[in-house]
Amino acid sequence: MIRTERICFHIGEFRLQDISLQIAAGQYFVLLGPPGSGKSIFLECLCGLKKIDSGKIYIEGREVTFVQPRARNLGYVPQDYALFPHLTVEQNIAFGLRVRRYSRKDAASRVAGTADLLGIRHLLPRRINGLSGGETQRVALARAMVMQPKILLLDEPVCALDEGTRQEVCSQLSCIQRRLGLTVIHVSHNLEEAFSVADQAAILHQGVLQQTGTLEELMRKPDSEFVACFMRCENIFRGQVIGPGIRQQTRVKVGDVGLYVPGEHYGEVKLMIRPEDVLICPNYEGRIRGDNEICVKLVRRRNYGGYVRVELDGPFNLVAHLTDATYAGLKTEQGADLIAVLRPENIHVLPA
Amino acid sequence: MNSPVKGWCDRIFEAAVFFFVCIFVIFVLILIAADIFYIDKRAVITVLTSRFIGHALWMSIWTSLVTTFISLFFAVPMGYALSRLRFPGRILADTIVDLPIVFPPLVVGLTLLVFFSQTTIGRWIQEDLGLEFVFQPRGIVLCQFVAAASFAIRSAKTAFDDVGRRYENVALTLGCSRWSSFWRVSLPLARNGIIAGGILTWARAFGLFGPLMIFVGSFRGRTEVLSTTIFLEQSVGNLEVALAIALLLIFVALVAITIIRLAGGSTVVKL
Repeated sequence: MIRTERICFHIGEFRLQDISLQIAAGQYFVLLGPPGSGKSIFLECLCGLKKIDSGKIYIEGREVTFVQPRARNLGYVPQDYALFPHLTVEQNIAFGLRVRRYSRKDAASRVAGTADLLGIRHLLPRRINGLSGGETQRVALARAMVMQPKILLLDEPVCALDEGTRQEVCSQLSCIQRRLGLTVIHVSHNLEEAFSVADQAAILHQGVLQQTGTLEELMRKPDSEFVACFMRCENIFRGQVIGPGIRQQTRVKVGDVGLYVPGEHYGEVKLMIRPEDVLICPNYEGRIRGDNEICVKLVRRRNYGGYVRVELDGPFNLVAHLTDATYAGLKTEQGADLIAVLRPENIHVLPA
Repeated sequence: MNSPVKGWCDRIFEAAVFFFVCIFVIFVLILIAADIFYIDKRAVITVLTSRFIGHALWMSIWTSLVTTFISLFFAVPMGYALSRLRFPGRILADTIVDLPIVFPPLVVGLTLLVFFSQTTIGRWIQEDLGLEFVFQPRGIVLCQFVAAASFAIRSAKTAFDDVGRRYENVALTLGCSRWSSFWRVSLPLARNGIIAGGILTWARAFGLFGPLMIFVGSFRGRTEVLSTTIFLEQSVGNLEVALAIALLLIFVALVAITIIRLAGGSTVVKL
């Protein structure tokens, strides 16, 4: 288990501020955030490569705040992998074992075992120059895993890989983590990557931890507008509470439209609805028929392969993500009148 | 060869930059050829058979090699410290390292002479400790070290700057101390730059002349090195012999640099 208590660190103008996290043993934890948010620095603080200004770090119940990196027993894969170019693949993987004076026989056996696990045995005699991106990544992972650490820290481990290799490596990482019961902290700015591996996740922004939870929680119940935006919620509106609704709902006025939202709220609020939760139907009658429905006009559509993104103009601008089949079923085109249905249970509300 | 498709504009550019290479190389070769055609058989025989010139050659070789090793001994830790450590006065120290490079060489000799003959510490070293440098063979090494060590230190610092800190950081997480990450990672990765610095230092030390004349003089069979022999020979009118010694100097330098390059492999030393 890893626990951090109010970690603070600064470098130049940048500050990590009061980072408190708890990561359970055997969990695959993804630390998300835009570039420059302090993810890599946080990982380096955990490794002991950066001395924190204040706070405490616990690993497996032991305080390691002032313990040297070599005594923390963590596997660390930096962003650029940092394989030693003057050594072969085998020597790179065996590096930690040689430093800790394992016998040649033990080292060779551990290297072979780790290489087999990652499917890179055939690369062992090769030099580092000339390895592909995926091979380099696996060798770096093998070097970190050969010491059999219980905790692996991966700094953007697949960001330099192509889409196909990224998927493959992510599923391999997930399999290995589960098979060996490792605790993994995986730093990334990529949501797809996080979805393919994460048990839990957190979002960091400008050195401040924004929210921790499952990806579903971060997506459905963001604590802030930043988290909502990062989780690609494109529909965020400001509204004014105008009165209570039925069944523990509140009525909120957005522009000229009144919407029912779940829960009790007061004053000014922010409403968030995910693009995939916006339902679209043809407007045959030229008017709305029920609550939380608004008349919109299709402004633009773009096919992203897996889904169609449509931009809608109405009392307020909306973005909806539809499946190819749903979009085809609408039998609509640019400029067409449509009805957007914003179900109360799909609307997340935050104080403004 | 793995090169991009070229247009006529690219070819003109390449021809232009290659022109400067040709001009410089041809100029140097013409200078050497002029020396070769000027000397005669007698001068060559004199150089090859003279006991004093043989001694000067030997002095040049061993003093420059010792200077190079001492310089590297200082350069490696100094280069690492200047590259990695942040300490008060680091920029000043970095500047002082470069000072001997911009000193007129004669100043090095004069400064050393003044230090050892006019200051209390210098006289204490010479007289009380018995470590005599002025007009002594060990003074040659000291003089060469002061004039040439900066090249080794500067090259080592640049080489360590080029070795990413991430390598050392990873080594630390893999069980290394700072000491062992230096030996196992930083030093092997900085090897090329350090060797390049060593070659520059050796070349500077091997051809040093001015400060040696002032600090250790040129006593036949004692403190005479090839560069001072050339001066002595031409000052008494033996121009052919002086040029023959100069060619010997060039030949030894060429052989040495070629050996180091071959020993290091084609990618090791890129001066």
